[in-house]
Amino acid sequence: MTKEKQSSLEELMIEIEDILEKMDEQDISLEDSFLLYEKGMKKLKMCNDRIDQVEKKMLVINEQGELDEFE
Amino acid sequence: MRRTAYSVSQVNAYIKNMFAQDFMLHSICIKGEVSNCKYHSSGHIYFTIKDEKAAIAAVMFAGSRRGLSFHMQAGDKVIVTGSIEVYERDGRYQLYAKEIQKDGEGSLYLQFEALKQTLLEMGMFAEEYKKPIPKYIKTLGIVTAPTGAAVQDIRNIAGRRNPYVQLILYPARVQGEGAAESIVNGIRALDQMGVDTIIVGRGGGSIEDLWAFNEEIVARAIFDCQTPLISAVGHETDTTIADFAADLRAPTPSAGAELAVYDIFELFDELDSLHYRLRHEMEWKAESARNRYQRLSQSLAMKSPKNQLNDRKQRAMNLEEKLEQKMLDQIREMRYRLGVLAERIDGISPAKKLSQGLAFVTDQKGKRISQVSHVRPGDEIQIRLQDGTIIADVRERRETI
Repeated sequence: MTKEKQSSLEELMIEIEDILEKMDEQDISLEDSFLLYEKGMKKLKMCNDRIDQVEKKMLVINEQGELDEFE
Repeated sequence: MRRTAYSVSQVNAYIKNMFAQDFMLHSICIKGEVSNCKYHSSGHIYFTIKDEKAAIAAVMFAGSRRGLSFHMQAGDKVIVTGSIEVYERDGRYQLYAKEIQKDGEGSLYLQFEALKQTLLEMGMFAEEYKKPIPKYIKTLGIVTAPTGAAVQDIRNIAGRRNPYVQLILYPARVQGEGAAESIVNGIRALDQMGVDTIIVGRGGGSIEDLWAFNEEIVARAIFDCQTPLISAVGHETDTTIADFAADLRAPTPSAGAELAVYDIFELFDELDSLHYRLRHEMEWKAESARNRYQRLSQSLAMKSPKNQLNDRKQRAMNLEEKLEQKMLDQIREMRYRLGVLAERIDGISPAKKLSQGLAFVTDQKGKRISQVSHVRPGDEIQIRLQDGTIIADVRERRETI
C-alpha cells in the first residue's frame, strides 16, 4: 500500500505544532523561520486536502460484500 | 352457516373464569430466572420469569411484598408461589406472586461469569491487545440492526459531527436465533473491507436481548478483528463480554458514534488556529528581525568616524570648560586668601605703630637699626615718623645698662 508514505491528519498536525515550537526558539535565523513557515503552510494545506469534504450517504454492505445506499 | 359472534370482553371474561376454576393455576410454584425486573413507585414489582425456552409475565403487588425478603433483580434464579390469572383488559395472563424465594444463582449470570473468567484467563481482555481508536477516520463500519434506535442514533451523531465520514452498515441480527453468528459475520465483513473503525452494538434491552453480545464467538471475532473496534451495547449499566473484548467500550450507541467520529468543525477551528499561529509567529519573527536591524544600524552609526570625532570634540570642550572653571575657582580662592593675609599683615604693619608715636630708624641705606651698636657717632640716620622722615646725625651712643 502506498498509504504508508503519507502522514495522517494527526501526524500532520503534530508536525505543525513542532514547526511552531521551533519558530518560537530565540536563536533561530530569519531564513530558517521562512523555511519553517513555508513548510508549515504546506502541511496545513495537506491537512485541508486530507479532509474529503463530500457529504457521504450511509451505505449497507450485504452478504456478498456489495455496497448499496441505505434506505 | 353463521355462528354466534362474541365480543372480546366476553371471550376474555370466559377465559378468566376458566383460569380461576383451574385448581393448579390457582396456587402454583414456578421456578425460573428473573428478568425485566422493575420496582414501580406504587410498590408493585413487575418482572418476567423465564427459562431457556419460555417466559411468563409476573407481578407482585405492594400488598404481597411481605412474601419477598430480598432485593430481587434480573438474573436471580427464583421460585415464585402465586396464582396465574387473566388480565381481562389486555387479554393476557400473568403470574400474581405471593411469595418469592431464591433458588441459587441465575444460570445466565453464571454462564456470563464463567465465560468472562475463561476469556480473561486466556488474555482476551488484556490491555496490550487493545488497539488505539484512530482520531481522524474516513470510514466507519457499523454492525447493528438496520431498524431501531441504535443505527439512527449513530447515524445522527456521526452526521452532525462529521458528515464527510463514510458510514457503512452491516445489517445484523442482534437478538434471537443466529444473532451471534450474524454479528460475527458483520465484524469479519467490515474488517476485511478495511474500514477505519468499527462500532458493534445495539440499543437497550433485557439480559436475554443482549445475550448475543455475551457469546464466545462474538468475543473471539472482536478479539481477532484487525480494525479498531468499539462496543456499544445497551445502556450505561449493561456490561457484556463484547465490552471486555473490544478495544474501547462505549456506554451507548450514541456515545460510540461520538468516540468514533471526530468533530470536523472543531478540526477546522484547530486548523484555523494553527494557520493564525504560523502567520503570527512569522510576522513576529520578521518584526523582531527588523527591530534588531534597526538597533544594530543605530549602534553602528554611533560608532562612525564622524560620530567618534564629534564625540571627542565634545569631550575636549567639556574638559576645556572644566579647566576654565577650575582656574577661576583657584583665582577666587587665592584672592580670598590674599584678603585674609592682608588683614593679618595690616595688624602687624610698622606703619600702624608709627601712628602711635613710635619711629622707625634706619641707616642711610634703609637698613633697620635696632641696637645702638649698629651706629657710630657721625653716622647719618633716618627716622621715619607717621608723616615723613627726619634725617639726623648721631652725636653720641649710650647703651642701656
